[in-house]
Amino acid sequence: MNLSVKDHGISALALPAQDRGKVAQEVSRAMSLSEKLYQRAGLIFPILATGGALAAASFIDPYLAYVATSWVIFGLLGLSLDLVWGRGGLLSLGQTAFYGLGGYVGSILAINMAPLTGDTLVWSLPAGAAFGAASAAALGAIIFLARMGPLQATILSYTFTLLLWSLTQSFKVTFGQAVVGGDNGLSNIPGVVLGFGQGTEALGPVEVFVTVVIVSAAIYFLCWWLMNGTFGRVIDCIRIDPQKTELLGYDIRKYQVAIFSLAGAIAGLAGAMFGAWANYLNPSVFSVQEALLVPIYVLVGGLGTLAGAFVGAFAIGGLSYYLGGGAVGGQTTLILGVVLILLVLFLKNGLVGAMGELWRRTLPDPNAAARDAGPVSIDPEVLEGILVEAAERAGPAKRLATVALYKRFGGVIPVNKVTRTFEPGRPYSLIGPNGAGKSSYLKACVGIYMPEAGSVTVGESDATNAPIFERVHQGVGVKNQKPQVFGELTVLENLSIAAFARTGNTQAALDVSRKILAMSGFERQAKVQASALSHGQQQWLDIGMVLCLAPRIVLLDEPAAGMTNEETRELSALVRTLARHTTVIVVEHDMEFVRTLEGHVTVLHQGRVFAEGDIAALRADDRVLDIYLGRREHV
Amino acid sequence: MELDYLATVLLSSLSSASILLIATIGLAVVFGLMGVINLAHGEFLMIGAYAALTATQHGIPFVLAIPVAVLVTMAIGAAVEVLIIRRLYGRLFDTMLATWGLSIAFYQLAVLIFGTVTPGIGMPQFSVKIGNYSLAGYPLLMTGVAALAALFVYVLMTRTVYGMKARAAIQMPEMARAIGIESYRVNTLTFAIGCGLAGFAGAVLLPIVPATPSMGFAFVIKAFLTVVVAGPVTLTGSVLTAIGLGGGASVTASFLTSVAGDAFFFLITAFLLWLYPLGITANWRSKM
Repeated sequence: MNLSVKDHGISALALPAQDRGKVAQEVSRAMSLSEKLYQRAGLIFPILATGGALAAASFIDPYLAYVATSWVIFGLLGLSLDLVWGRGGLLSLGQTAFYGLGGYVGSILAINMAPLTGDTLVWSLPAGAAFGAASAAALGAIIFLARMGPLQATILSYTFTLLLWSLTQSFKVTFGQAVVGGDNGLSNIPGVVLGFGQGTEALGPVEVFVTVVIVSAAIYFLCWWLMNGTFGRVIDCIRIDPQKTELLGYDIRKYQVAIFSLAGAIAGLAGAMFGAWANYLNPSVFSVQEALLVPIYVLVGGLGTLAGAFVGAFAIGGLSYYLGGGAVGGQTTLILGVVLILLVLFLKNGLVGAMGELWRRTLPDPNAAARDAGPVSIDPEVLEGILVEAAERAGPAKRLATVALYKRFGGVIPVNKVTRTFEPGRPYSLIGPNGAGKSSYLKACVGIYMPEAGSVTVGESDATNAPIFERVHQGVGVKNQKPQVFGELTVLENLSIAAFARTGNTQAALDVSRKILAMSGFERQAKVQASALSHGQQQWLDIGMVLCLAPRIVLLDEPAAGMTNEETRELSALVRTLARHTTVIVVEHDMEFVRTLEGHVTVLHQGRVFAEGDIAALRADDRVLDIYLGRREHV
Repeated sequence: MELDYLATVLLSSLSSASILLIATIGLAVVFGLMGVINLAHGEFLMIGAYAALTATQHGIPFVLAIPVAVLVTMAIGAAVEVLIIRRLYGRLFDTMLATWGLSIAFYQLAVLIFGTVTPGIGMPQFSVKIGNYSLAGYPLLMTGVAALAALFVYVLMTRTVYGMKARAAIQMPEMARAIGIESYRVNTLTFAIGCGLAGFAGAVLLPIVPATPSMGFAFVIKAFLTVVVAGPVTLTGSVLTAIGLGGGASVTASFLTSVAGDAFFFLITAFLLWLYPLGITANWRSKM
């Protein structure tokens, strides 16, 4: 069964992808103030909110300040979930585990060190963040390095929380002056002290509020900056299509562990701050009730919006404050349970998401240009330029060879001991009836399928057991049968994220992408979301992304599907030019297209090489006519 | 070590594994046939336990209280399917969140209705002697109950018209509808059966695990881990995992503490998922 991350229905980002990053500045059309504001909404409104909170601190009731401090801390905890879930695509039910662990470790350190130095936060916050990050990294390493399924990952994170809950119930241990008393909890945690030295006093509630707001705002803006840069873009790509991201050459596991650890650090820091605020921690931080609150904050605010977590925490906290019930009342648990059900059933985008959507409707539709695509025109000179430049950077074309490559699924053997070497020079076509194993063979070559036997050699090095991204680093570029584009990202972002995988430099990536963009007739669609493109346009975009990788070996699976005759001719020119500089293998059913390639043709049948030669010779071969080509005129 | 002692440890581990299997099988059915992880599974178990407890308190014999618990949980399960689960088909993580909310709501309702402490019912008193050791008979009986439950599910899924329809509805929902299977009704029944099995577990385990509002949380850890380690071939996978992991955890717990047993279970699970990231049965050809 396919339980993909993409299936969760509330992943719609409140901020459309075209509003992120530097690419947005590349617009020729003048933007209205509203559009500019909208693009910077994730920055401007949080700045205003931070300023408002700091200003309000001068006159609000100290008790309200005290309570509101906890909302900010919960917002920070929500932010940590939004990073891994809303952006990373993994529903983690373990954020309160990192929060609790960070809280305990940070507080234990503060209890022991604060008497010596006075200041508490310099001890508890870094320690909480570090321990939260370390424990998240450990759990994340297990989940991501093993490439666990999303369901397994979610359940593992949930049981991790439950396990800590049952462990801490009976856990009694003393660290220096800190007594961790199982069910009795950890008491006497010093409050927020900022000054150094013996005589410094703990801050009052309003000053604590101000401190917590400043720390949280700093973390929020750090996350905003990070998630608007290339790191955030790659994380988005992994959420949308992890396989394609890896096919671009990104080691997605490292990115996943990184975002999970970052979220763990933020949760741990929030926990340490909570300890200093409450002066007390007990195992209930690991309880299900506590864990349940985190996705509620995120869903109320808006999944994937980052700032939404704070909005959600304030909405829930404020509501229960004005209704008079504390955060831990008798019926609160029941209400929260029902609220979560209703949120999932009815509220799709949360408050921030819904407002963003309303606002976006007043703006010109950036996808309108999708209907206005220019013709594709492959300029052989530009293409040669790119390929020559690519050859300078990445080395000469490589050969691809398989020896007795063998892959089976149960009783089906789509790749049955295929031995074949592909050299640069002229294009190779793989043809054959449906189910012949053409796509499976390409997938086994690139590492999407791991073969049971045989070997794959890229250039001179053995790649049989290499993960996908390593083969891509060695120069393999693939376009799968179904066009794989990142629908939420713009056309230019799609290309530049591919180019960045190779260049590692934002500006160089943009330069390459723009060349490819012009060649594919997409100049006016640079800011259009890829999902708004037609099937044929998505094929070109996918091919463009492969070109951005400057591969030494190009594998194209049915590139002509969905293209007009005109486009197919351009594609033929492209493939022939490519073949002069790289090794090209094309799987196609369009025999006219195969004929124009004037290359070497391999017929696959039932997983084996059935016949080889040029297309004219194969047309004269009775066996090939019988299994595939047929005897009418359409050949 | 003496032979009779080893036999005792072996038997009690087998009965622990059986208890785990009884508690897990409803979850496995719902996951296997609907692709839904019911995070409120533990609370259905708790509802079953309270239903059986209330029934016995009203003078119904324990043996008859078990079907009462099954019917109660099936009815609630059917209502939950119609009101919540049906609206979230194909959205695995939303379903998880919604049933999670349900789990905590059920827990709180149980606290409100029954309080946090409730009397258990006495364990049916009989024991089995092995050499110098004697074992309580009722937990040993669970081995047979678990085998019967697994057999029941197997027969239900492979030998009945309902089972065929249910498997068709999960493998090809649209095709199933196109050939006239009312997949909605089939799914309601599947979810109800899963919840009924949870209720059965709560009731039949009542003499061993007394009813408390939070008993569900204690059970779900191992039940969830068992199902995800089992992977796509849920029934066979769950039986294997429950015996392997449940037995192992029981051995650990008998030498150390029950918390250590839980930790062992978690770590072994993480290790198994490391080896089989999509479950131990991910590459099997059989689908039951």
